[in-house]
Amino acid sequence: MIPRLARLITLVLLTCCAASPSAHAQYEVEKDSSIWLRGLVDVRLVEGGPGASWTDRGPGKMRYGGSPTDTGFARATRLVLSQAALQVGALLPWDLRARAQVNIEPDIAGNYRPWLVEATLRKEWGEANRGFGLQGGAMGLPFSLENTGPAWTPAYTISSSALNSWLWEDFSLAGAEAEGWYVTQSGIRLDALLGAGYGGDQIGRILALRGWVMGDTLAGINGDLALPGRTDRTDIFNNRDHRPTVYSWLSVGDAAEIASAKVGVVDNRGDESSPGVWHTHAAAVGLVLHPYPRIDVLAQYLDGVARVRSPANDSAMSACYVLVSYHTLRQRVSVRYDSFRVHDLDGGPSTNEHGHAVTASYFIELGLRSRLALEEIWMHSYRQALGAVNPTPDGWQVSYRFRY
Amino acid sequence: MPGQFLNRSWLALLGLTLMQPAPAARSVSGSVTAPQGSPIADAVVFLQVPPPAPAGGQHPTALVDQVEKTFVPGLLPVVVGTYVRFPNHDQVQHHVYSFSPTKSFELPLYKGESAPPVLFDKVGVVKIGCNIHDWMSGIILVLPTPHFTVTDANGKYVLDDVPDGNYTLTVWHARSNVKPEDTARQIEGRDDVANVDFTLTLSPARARPAVHGSRADP
Repeated sequence: MIPRLARLITLVLLTCCAASPSAHAQYEVEKDSSIWLRGLVDVRLVEGGPGASWTDRGPGKMRYGGSPTDTGFARATRLVLSQAALQVGALLPWDLRARAQVNIEPDIAGNYRPWLVEATLRKEWGEANRGFGLQGGAMGLPFSLENTGPAWTPAYTISSSALNSWLWEDFSLAGAEAEGWYVTQSGIRLDALLGAGYGGDQIGRILALRGWVMGDTLAGINGDLALPGRTDRTDIFNNRDHRPTVYSWLSVGDAAEIASAKVGVVDNRGDESSPGVWHTHAAAVGLVLHPYPRIDVLAQYLDGVARVRSPANDSAMSACYVLVSYHTLRQRVSVRYDSFRVHDLDGGPSTNEHGHAVTASYFIELGLRSRLALEEIWMHSYRQALGAVNPTPDGWQVSYRFRY
Repeated sequence: MPGQFLNRSWLALLGLTLMQPAPAARSVSGSVTAPQGSPIADAVVFLQVPPPAPAGGQHPTALVDQVEKTFVPGLLPVVVGTYVRFPNHDQVQHHVYSFSPTKSFELPLYKGESAPPVLFDKVGVVKIGCNIHDWMSGIILVLPTPHFTVTDANGKYVLDDVPDGNYTLTVWHARSNVKPEDTARQIEGRDDVANVDFTLTLSPARARPAVHGSRADP
């Protein structure tokens, strides 16, 4: 048995040697691969509040709450896999770019099933100063100012603001969008995007039934989200009335992006006469400033309405945040203030809530591919329907992230 | 009086020195074209001359900027022993890396000008990229000589300040099907102004197209 194994290993080694590339030609340029892969794994030590998180169908406002015990939930420190992401990109004929990302987020999905976060084809014409692009496939909205890190993770904190947590957990559409950009002679960059996609018929439901939360969920088109106090889940992609969601995004800023203003509008055009269809529309305005080389400032405000014919859960919702971040080569410190509100519009089961939170985070890049991050969130929130059982959702996280 | 004499002598000596004809600055010029005659831009023409030893440990420095998610310049020829800085003037982070055998290095996620310079201490081609923005691509060509130039959009080049002596002139292009050593041309010491034209066959270009719109990050 052992000689056979030795022969096999020798054969494999010889095959590898034979297959290895020839000696490096000094002035030869390596060819670009037409397919590329990236990965990211995020493991965390977390301690949430004593109550159950919304991911455990509790009233908690953050991703991690207490741990289940014999008598309910209790504050506990635990080690969790927060995210495993795999991105693949490919260059296709006619300069088409294909990109796809799948994520495993066990506590949010309730299992280890991969979620398809995006799968797109993109083609651009022109260059940085003037161009036009078309993109189609499964994708979310481009409204988030915070989720600009690797694999769409928040770039400044571990958890996104309430506003961007919703944008990334509730929007996954199958559609297409067109975009044009132009830099004027005076150095002003204008960018306009118009898109439409199917699958948005449940958008807004989660805000009415659960309220705002703060986390880093990345919606998958094949995913669903837990609803507090209920046994069912809400689909992220849901197409009942066959009306497409439409959205637009405008950005104006200087060419060096020292200051830019963004406006986004989305309307799922839901047909309220169709059973279970929500009609949700919202507008977001944002400001991105880089006043000094090491300082980033973000501010964003969103206002919207979600309506459904039955049961009566019509709600108006709003959220805003201001984030200030300071960074050096390997370290980043960020502080964010969040405010959020849901206002019940129809007197049915109350969806009223309001709250605010302060988030402080610290990142340090270790070596080339590792990052250690700490985050503490202090939140005060009140949801009318919960009465005396409103949670006290404070908590901290220590994240180790490896990306390839 | 002796002082006046000394002053005059020094002045005379200075005058003689200034009147000496300066060594003729040799230059080599020409063009790089494809076989059908179309000009080839961004070809690097260089002399095969050993690099001078760094004076007092001072290494030459150069810079590859990152602007609008593009390496600027996209092609940087340097003499071996050069330190290259990689400032990031975008407002998003970049992760610059190279896995080239000539120089393998990585600069983790950063923006601004705080990344340390990288020493290119071996002759050859270094292909650089960004681990976040996959279309960002650049080349640092590390040469054994400080005597190099790059062809313009018309395929023309001028190589000034060529030292006296006999040399080999070579041309390199990122997509050339010909090895630089197979393009070698001899420059004779007697030629004050030489004209050398090259013909190269290039393989088709197919770079990863950039993303400039709102979906560029990450």
